[in-house]
Amino acid sequence: MKSNEESLRQLMRLAQRGDKSAYSTLLTEAGRWLSRFYAHKIAPDAVDDLVQDTLMSVHRKLSSYDPSRPFLPWLAAIARYRWVDRLRQTYKHQASALDFDVATEGHEDVVGAKISIDRLLFQLPENQAEAIRLTKIEGHSVAETCARTGQSESLVKVNVHRGLKKLTALIESE
Amino acid sequence: MMKMTQRSFDIAALVDELEPVKPISPRNIIVTAAIITMVALAIIVSITGVRADLLAGKPEALFLLRSGILGLLGFASAYSVLAMASPSVGKHHSSWQMALVGAILFPLAGIVALATGDTGLTDAPLSSGLACLFYSAVTAAATAIPMVVTLRKGAPTSPERAGWLTGVASGGLGTLAYNFHCPYDSLVYTGVWYGCTVAVCAVAGRLIVPKLIRW
Repeated sequence: MKSNEESLRQLMRLAQRGDKSAYSTLLTEAGRWLSRFYAHKIAPDAVDDLVQDTLMSVHRKLSSYDPSRPFLPWLAAIARYRWVDRLRQTYKHQASALDFDVATEGHEDVVGAKISIDRLLFQLPENQAEAIRLTKIEGHSVAETCARTGQSESLVKVNVHRGLKKLTALIESE
Repeated sequence: MMKMTQRSFDIAALVDELEPVKPISPRNIIVTAAIITMVALAIIVSITGVRADLLAGKPEALFLLRSGILGLLGFASAYSVLAMASPSVGKHHSSWQMALVGAILFPLAGIVALATGDTGLTDAPLSSGLACLFYSAVTAAATAIPMVVTLRKGAPTSPERAGWLTGVASGGLGTLAYNFHCPYDSLVYTGVWYGCTVAVCAVAGRLIVPKLIRW
């Protein structure tokens, strides 16, 4: 992870100076990193869309990267912001379960753990995290979530609403 | 495979659009906000006059204390606002918290003073408090402009918090500018009118700024 961080940081510095070759490599590598970052955290068929949204945000917000700071925590902050934004959008996932065969190498080390989405969800109260996980990540209906958790319909909605609000405030937290 | 091809195509389009960018520099924006505050201060004192103790070269202790706290509140909060434009997981924007705790001492001390018979609030006409609110708010709006422009260029991940802080920062700088005219040195007056002004600016920031900086 460290060498990856250093090389991405160097590519980003070059990209900010207008180096298109470095930028192309950076976006390709960032795209791969983001695919792993989002694995299991959103419906599998939505991952590519979310990765592209995030890369568009990276493109529009290039000047917000401070070259004196590490690159991956910056990318992770943008990725988390886009992820929470996506969760806010009401959607019903077609598939009934996530594809747990997606590779997640590179996100199990210390740095990856600190900036992962799991880390974000762990900071929510369990009932809020569970309501978000079931309705927004696994795509279950509110009724199904009520049956699984024993929470009332209004409580599930309140927990999702409060949880998403709290996630927004926690985006930059470790 | 199709998806990878699509992503490669999108990346090529983004690469074609690449232009050199200058990373956001909080220092430049702080200097800009400081210059706006000084210009506003000059305009306010040219319209309403400067404090008598300053003209005499013997500033009152409360004036000095108020200036220090408001300056600290304004600039520390502005720095936090601008740090929010460059997000990073694990980054903390807490410089404003201690400054706010210090500033809250004024309203708290004002309440204690009021309870112990301070008549500073009734000694000052309402029009003077409203002038404090008006001049400070106009200055605050001017100092908020470079902060909002920077937030729009940046990537604030918590627009609501950025809104609150922009209001607190600009309110602090606005009241700092008006302070150089304000002839009242009562703790109660300071707590009520300066406190209200910063609070109004903070609420305005929370209501207005997030709509301008979402991305």
